[in-house]
Amino acid sequence: MPRLDRPILVLAILAALALLSIAAFMTLGVRGNWPFVLEYRGRKVLGLMLVAWCVGVSTVLFQTVTGNRILTPSIMGFDALFVLIRTAVVFFFGFGVLATLPDQAQFGAEVLAMTGFAVLLFQWLFLRGQRSLHLMVLVGIVFGVLFRNLSAFMQRMLDPVEFQSLQDSFFASFGRIDPTLLGVSLLLVAGASLAAWRISHAFDVLILGREQAISLGVPYRRMVAAILCIIAVLVAVATALVGPVTFFGLLVVSLAHVLCGTGRHRYILPASVLLGIICLVGGQTLLERVFAFDTALSIIIEFLGGLIFIILLIRGAAR
Amino acid sequence: MTHPAALPCAILAVVLLAALSLFVGVTDIAPMDVLRGQADARQMQVLLASRVPRTLALVLAGAATAVAGLVMQMIVRNRFVEPSTTGTVESAGLGLLVVTVLAPGMPVMGKMLIASLFALAGTALFMRILRMVPLRDVLLVPLVGIMLGGVIGAVTTFFAYRFDLLASVGAWSMGDFSGVLRGRYELLWLAGALAVAAYAAADRLTLAAMGRDFTTNLGLNYRSTMVLGLIIVSLVSATVLVTVGVIPFLGLIVPNVVSLMIGDNMRRTVPWVAVMGTGFVLICDILGRTIRAPYEIPIATMLGVIGSAAFLFLLLRRRHHAAP
Amino acid sequence: MRMKLGAVLGGLCLAVAGSVSAQSITIPHRQGEVTLDSRPERVVVMDWANVDNLDALGVSILGVPGSNAPEYLSKFRSDDYLKLGSLQEPDVEGIAAADPDLVIVAARSRQSQPQLNRIAPTVDLSIDNDDFIDSVTANITELGEIFGKEDRAAEMNAELRSKVDRLHDAVQGKGRALTLVTSGGKIGVYGPESRTGWLHKEVGFPSVLDDVDDRSDRGDAASYEFILETNPDWIFVVDRDTAIAAEGGQAAAALLDNELVHQTTAWKEGHIVYLDPQKAYIVMNGYQAVSDLLDQVYEAVTADS
Repeated sequence: MPRLDRPILVLAILAALALLSIAAFMTLGVRGNWPFVLEYRGRKVLGLMLVAWCVGVSTVLFQTVTGNRILTPSIMGFDALFVLIRTAVVFFFGFGVLATLPDQAQFGAEVLAMTGFAVLLFQWLFLRGQRSLHLMVLVGIVFGVLFRNLSAFMQRMLDPVEFQSLQDSFFASFGRIDPTLLGVSLLLVAGASLAAWRISHAFDVLILGREQAISLGVPYRRMVAAILCIIAVLVAVATALVGPVTFFGLLVVSLAHVLCGTGRHRYILPASVLLGIICLVGGQTLLERVFAFDTALSIIIEFLGGLIFIILLIRGAAR
Repeated sequence: MTHPAALPCAILAVVLLAALSLFVGVTDIAPMDVLRGQADARQMQVLLASRVPRTLALVLAGAATAVAGLVMQMIVRNRFVEPSTTGTVESAGLGLLVVTVLAPGMPVMGKMLIASLFALAGTALFMRILRMVPLRDVLLVPLVGIMLGGVIGAVTTFFAYRFDLLASVGAWSMGDFSGVLRGRYELLWLAGALAVAAYAAADRLTLAAMGRDFTTNLGLNYRSTMVLGLIIVSLVSATVLVTVGVIPFLGLIVPNVVSLMIGDNMRRTVPWVAVMGTGFVLICDILGRTIRAPYEIPIATMLGVIGSAAFLFLLLRRRHHAAP
Repeated sequence: MRMKLGAVLGGLCLAVAGSVSAQSITIPHRQGEVTLDSRPERVVVMDWANVDNLDALGVSILGVPGSNAPEYLSKFRSDDYLKLGSLQEPDVEGIAAADPDLVIVAARSRQSQPQLNRIAPTVDLSIDNDDFIDSVTANITELGEIFGKEDRAAEMNAELRSKVDRLHDAVQGKGRALTLVTSGGKIGVYGPESRTGWLHKEVGFPSVLDDVDDRSDRGDAASYEFILETNPDWIFVVDRDTAIAAEGGQAAAALLDNELVHQTTAWKEGHIVYLDPQKAYIVMNGYQAVSDLLDQVYEAVTADS
């Protein structure tokens, strides 16, 4: 019994902290017009929570289907793919297009491209026979290098203004989530999450591995393929909304495992999402109040995420 | 599997590539004119001031970077590392940024030394962290290195963003030989010398790669061998970074390819790694100079695209073999 | 959706304003148009070129970006002006709290237009590099009309045009030019389509690149051999590394001081012009920046005749 109590307690504390972060974000340092500020910040919080949800859920599910706690979608080269897609748009059409194209169209194209790639890569890596973890990580990293270099190749030819603007758009900008994208994103994420919910009974079985899962009567291939599509949509939405944040998923899910002390999805999933909210909303509060908009949150997350992960490794606790 | 004549053949091929590199560029220089002494003064000057230095720089940087990757893999005892997956390159970059902000007028030698110190500190930190991590999985090593590189890179980005130096940092992180001229690459001889030093120390490094206990049993000073390896790697990384910028991927892929070909005895692999590193860099730079002439595509980009594609091919071709 | 909302709001304003609509000002801009009921008095400008323009027009400004203020606009660093975030991430709440009548964005801040337009009428005055001088003068004219400074705007534009004409005449027969950008110790080439393309297209300096297909060559990596072979009569240099530090091209000068560049006509004749990096790189298209750059080039070109 006490083993069950701990995750629940942790979830309760995390929920309280998340609420506290949200409250601080909504109310600290308001100047003037309250209704405007509440509406403006409300949208931002909604966007941040959406991103936390996408990153948390997709990373947990990804680790479930790949059967390890180190691989994450962004380590597999997704952020680099996002940079590549966006660079390609600027490269072939100029930055003006990026700025004038209807946001939804650009967003839809990015989501589509990322989903297509994700499903292809996953199919190829995870569904065509057994491959070692080493191989998958290496292939992921190498893909990342390939994408980054293709982007660099194109960026090399950009005008400095365009380069600068492009560079700016790569700092995950939580302050600039476009409100018109929120609706589309919410719909996509809700759909993906609903699909995940319907097969959620299988998650704890899948983590036991392919043979176990099959012997327990789970249609393994079909299940994995479905989860991969869900992950792709979630990752695409998160990355397209705020740009690449490499270590964020790893950070929150690792922390969730350490805090919960169990691998069961009913605890890990909400804990990861709550931790994500605390990091993003709390982080954004810090960014706006302490750094006064001068630094992008993603730099801080990369810094802290890497640092905390190393500390976790040192403690031998990350596994 | 290697024929005794294989290495001489490879060296010959690289010499031919180097010769080709001498005659690729914006200025028209015909090899026969030079040999017959018919080249005009300007062509000779371009040859001596630009082509020869550039080719030498390519040879030195290519060989040294590939060997540094091999040394790194030896001292960390892991196939998946190279200076850019151990925080070394990122640390050197941070050092260079610090110099640029605090003492922009410092001569290049000073910049290189400070970048080396940062690289050494960063690599030492990496090694220290490795000793603290419970290493049950070979993959944790590059992961820790990538994390550390990410952390250091975030610090660099933070300050670069603050001082509006992102473009400069971007320029360093892009290896590019277009700026090489007589008088502007000579630092790379140091990197070449370090590659030779690695060869001289190859036996010790090979033994050190077998682990601390084994080495100590043989009466070798494990610690000093490791420090030697670290200094080689840090100095090579910083030197190459300061003179031409980061040459990514080379240190990872070349030693792996060589290892597939002839195994892991370092005394035998160092010459191969140096030769193949050189050849690879030469090919990429020659392509980079020709594809969009008269403009250039930086070698970092060429190498990143070609190198990663080649590596993917290698990985997947060998998918039935157990990864080392 | 935003557009619709804007239209509805606009319609509402017109309906409410009724007879006042005669005085209302409609401002077309890069991303649509906005309508103001009266002359704006509280103006927030999130673009240094337009701070430059408004400063020259004599319009008072309420708030400016909090970073990268160029040296010649250093008075805007003082606390008399609200600091409203960076170009990429404007402090939206700060701008809302400032309660401006008009917000001006351009270039690096243009992406914020839809968001800021929800708070206050926001215009995007980005310029068109292909039509540089006309774009700059059109902006000045528009700002003059908005703030009732038509005369001053006309005066400024006339001055700009006369400086362009003066330079245009002066460069005749002066040979071909090459524009370089230096960054992190490396050299890039700016083609006629780039941000300094006006030197070629509007001032009439023939580019050394005319015989090369260079539509996409913006800040391209090039070797010193390239400079030697193209042998420009004039070299214009934008030093990005010192654009912030305001040191004016020392690093770039050291880069170019080599035996291959020494062979070029430009070096032999002392025709290497280090453009004021803050004006050429950060501000680019403000009145004072362009005017000073035109003067700088004119002085260089006429120095030895």
